[in-house]
Amino acid sequence: MNTRRRERIIDEVEAASWLEDGMTIAIGQPTPMALVRQIIRRGLKNLTVVDAGFSLDLLIAAGCVRKVITYYAGGGFGIPVMPAFRHAAELGEIEIWECEEGILCAGLQAAAQLLPFLPWRGGVGTSLPEVNPDLKVFTDPIKGETLLAVPPIKPDIALLHAATADMYGNVQHYGGPGWIDLFMYRAADRTVVQVERVISNEQVRADPWKTTIPAADAIVRAPFGAHPFYSRGFYVQDNEHLREYSSLSSDFAAGRTEGMTMYLERYCRRPPTHADYLEEIGIKRLLSLHEY
Amino acid sequence: MDDYSIPELMAVCLARDLRDGELLRVGVATPVAEAAVRLAHLTHGPNMELVFLGARMNVAHLDTIPMPAFGWDSRAVRWAESYSDTGHRFDRLKDWSNSVFFIGGIQVDPFGNTNLIGVGSDFRRLRFRGPGSVGTATLSTHVGRYYIVLNNHNRRLFVEKCDYISAYGWGSGGADARSRIGIPGGGPKYCITPLCVMDFAEDSKRMRLKSLHPGVKLETVKQATGFELLVPDILPTTEPPSAQELQILRTRVDPSGRLRRG
Repeated sequence: MNTRRRERIIDEVEAASWLEDGMTIAIGQPTPMALVRQIIRRGLKNLTVVDAGFSLDLLIAAGCVRKVITYYAGGGFGIPVMPAFRHAAELGEIEIWECEEGILCAGLQAAAQLLPFLPWRGGVGTSLPEVNPDLKVFTDPIKGETLLAVPPIKPDIALLHAATADMYGNVQHYGGPGWIDLFMYRAADRTVVQVERVISNEQVRADPWKTTIPAADAIVRAPFGAHPFYSRGFYVQDNEHLREYSSLSSDFAAGRTEGMTMYLERYCRRPPTHADYLEEIGIKRLLSLHEY
Repeated sequence: MDDYSIPELMAVCLARDLRDGELLRVGVATPVAEAAVRLAHLTHGPNMELVFLGARMNVAHLDTIPMPAFGWDSRAVRWAESYSDTGHRFDRLKDWSNSVFFIGGIQVDPFGNTNLIGVGSDFRRLRFRGPGSVGTATLSTHVGRYYIVLNNHNRRLFVEKCDYISAYGWGSGGADARSRIGIPGGGPKYCITPLCVMDFAEDSKRMRLKSLHPGVKLETVKQATGFELLVPDILPTTEPPSAQELQILRTRVDPSGRLRRG
């Protein structure tokens, strides 16, 4: 009989093999970019993604996305709206499950707690229930107040980025567990967390109160894995890289796709592994992203 | 002192309206609001709490509180005393009457309803797809008051009716526009643009001019607004920044000159 505890460390290529066309995938923030790039490299299709910002835009540009559950697709550096998102939305190429941060949290929480819905007040009086008919305006049976019923948002898998984890999937963040990440973890069937460093189980046990995600299904070792975004305690956002993306993708909405294609080829499709991506970025750039 | 930029004027104007002890929530891509809360904190708000994307801080003791180069700079956390990511993003909403928020929009209507969703009659094929609601539906529902802060003032922005509403202001009007559908927060107080400051009439909650920025003509504002603005009998000029306000703004809040680059 096997009495050995299962180890949960896999590489990002294997993690991507957990994903299938048509799945619902929640993507946390700081963004698990090493995993996002693997999705693009694998060329997954018809995904429903719970995501915002840059990674959402890349996945749409790469043709991976059918439906978007999002509260925000704002750009940065002079781009008010992410270009691929905007283009696909205006052409009707993607379905948008329009929501908002509070509504998204309520939906993920409903899924986590096996509830048919959770009530939420933010959004009452707005157009959100009109453009998203899954959000039902209802009268609460206790006090008769007008509220929104938010149905469960249930990801098949949550992909997250964190500071550290041990080989058994105990995840510890530095400086907070990310934006909506714990909601995604609680709601998803499975959770894969890419981490800057794998630490010993003894280190986890030394401070178990710091464990933010107990028993993630898989851990992917990915130093600089959130690049070009920040990872608290490790590196800051690479603005130069994000500006490069902004300039390459700025005329995407006008139908000029060359810049975006160039970006996707160079940084997402061509490097077979995360390590190859980091080589493409270059050690000098990576080491310049320190905070102090 | 007439050597100031319009964003500087807007930041100073907002800062003056913020009161000590308030909790000021600032989102992404709102440099005028980012500057305003820092300025108020340094000039008259030692007990204010500043919340930038969840990072809550009191930094009135610092010589400088520089604005980040971009709204979601995680380095803001270095000044934080707590971070909302550790719990529910929107816990303790019951206490948000002491919170103040700043909101933008791609459309604003006469009752301060705002739209970040998009422009166009067919939601599936929008003429312009906006960035999305972020957290504004929840924030605008619960904060004690908020300010609509806009970088432009034109007829595409100020419309008779928003194509979509992502944050409910004063609905279709009336002092009870919020209470009658059970929305607890105090709603939009002012709308500030590069041309003027507007408030909402006490009874109708329709947008009303409050002051014109120095050198701006009433006719210019009317021409740039796609609906009829209420105009009070006495229409003052927005008080320009004082030398002291500008000095604090430029040396302790915005040394890199983000608000001066326009």
